[in-house]
Amino acid sequence: MGQHQFEISYVFEYFVKLLPSLKITLLIVFSSIVIGVVVGLLVALPRLYRIPILQRLAGIYVSFFRGTPILIQLFLFYYGMPELFKVIGIDISRIPALYFVILAYALHSGAYISEMIRGAVAAVDRGQVEAAYAMGMSGFQAFSRIVLPQATAISIPVFANLVIGNLKDTSLAFSLGIMEMSGTARTIGALSQRFVEIYLALAILYLLISLALQKLFIHFERRLYRHEADAIASKREPRRGRRSFFRKLGPVTELPGKEARL
Amino acid sequence: MIKLTQIKKSFGRHQVLKGIDLTVEKGQVVAILGPSGSGKTTLLRCMNYLERPSEGEITIDEFTLNCRRPSKSDIHELRKKSAMVFQQYNLFRHKTALENVMEGLVIVQKVPKEQARVRSIELLEKVGLGSKLDSYPSQLSGGQQQRVGIARALALNPKVILFDEPTSSLDPELVGEVLSVIRKIAKEGITMIIVTHEMGFAQEVAGHVIFIDDGVIVERGTPNELFGSPKEERTKQFLKRFTPDGVYSI
Repeated sequence: MGQHQFEISYVFEYFVKLLPSLKITLLIVFSSIVIGVVVGLLVALPRLYRIPILQRLAGIYVSFFRGTPILIQLFLFYYGMPELFKVIGIDISRIPALYFVILAYALHSGAYISEMIRGAVAAVDRGQVEAAYAMGMSGFQAFSRIVLPQATAISIPVFANLVIGNLKDTSLAFSLGIMEMSGTARTIGALSQRFVEIYLALAILYLLISLALQKLFIHFERRLYRHEADAIASKREPRRGRRSFFRKLGPVTELPGKEARL
Repeated sequence: MIKLTQIKKSFGRHQVLKGIDLTVEKGQVVAILGPSGSGKTTLLRCMNYLERPSEGEITIDEFTLNCRRPSKSDIHELRKKSAMVFQQYNLFRHKTALENVMEGLVIVQKVPKEQARVRSIELLEKVGLGSKLDSYPSQLSGGQQQRVGIARALALNPKVILFDEPTSSLDPELVGEVLSVIRKIAKEGITMIIVTHEMGFAQEVAGHVIFIDDGVIVERGTPNELFGSPKEERTKQFLKRFTPDGVYSI
């Protein structure tokens, strides 16, 4: 507890003060997820198509980024990369910390995204690929027209989890001095000594973004699943009461119809 | 028209096809019968290279593929000659009935979209699904899905349609609607090869029946010859299970 009596009005005040740093948080989330999707796809493909050496390298990459804490990855990138580049005579110590942070989060998400893609592609029924080949499609056509759209739909719930997880993970970026939401909150807290108010405001802010993201993903999921009869039915008569309450809280939406998930 | 020469296929040490020779003339409807595990589905899947034969030669419509070392483009060329109707329908689940039928026309044959749409609607009407154009597979019964599958195969205007047990995963009351569609297109002179367990249907529709067991063609002939007076002991044994009272003795 701080030295002050709790006052709710400060929660609102700090909430507004935190808003400008929302930009930085969203910038980290958005750019790291975009890069992460590209990296994830590049890493998943050698494993899906069993390309000898690349497959092993991809496996090592995934193990490392899934097996070590993000905080340590942040430090390793921030302190380690300049050392590494010094060896080959390039000075990158003046590049702002934000770029290291984005890179670390991107590679971290990329590892999880590659696993998500692998699972989703494997979940698309093999018979449809055969049907595509039988009608004379090339491997690329079959992948892009038949497998990819369905794999995307399958992976939405997992992807939603990843993005929301990534959002919360960005709260660690303050350890490298990034003034995103948590960093700003820490500073305000240190100055005002009103820790409860500032962290309450911070929690509310994270929660609101998470809820907005969930809504967005549920919307995507419904759109992409319009071809499954059950999903269409559940759109017509949305569940009310207890179940829809849990639906909002749960990170993963109930996936009607298809059971295939990671 | 279609000629298979010494098709052999092994899964590991188990030889499934032991050198199959088969010729099918244009417009012929050929039924392939045989007990489960006899290799009849594998043979059908070799014809469009969904299954890779270990040895042999496949000719469809004057295009010959040697199975030793075929190039990707050769396989592609071969596949364009045929179309397949699957036991599990294998419709594209994220596409409507109409889109399923249009897909091959637009993507593989590069037919302009409007033209492909007109042709696809025509075909779906022909299989009795004119009212289900915009339904997704999940909204259709098994029989309806299989009829979309047949329309999808017809759309490609193939030299031959390969049917892989087209009614085996259907509820009994839905078998009839699919068989009557196949019967209808058989009359139009399209070349068809049908792997089936429907003996009565094979007898009625096929001009030619082949009995496969243990990876070899045991006997072949017209339905009357094969069902009426089978020569080989194995054929007799097999048919006995389906004709306990000699229903088929004509």
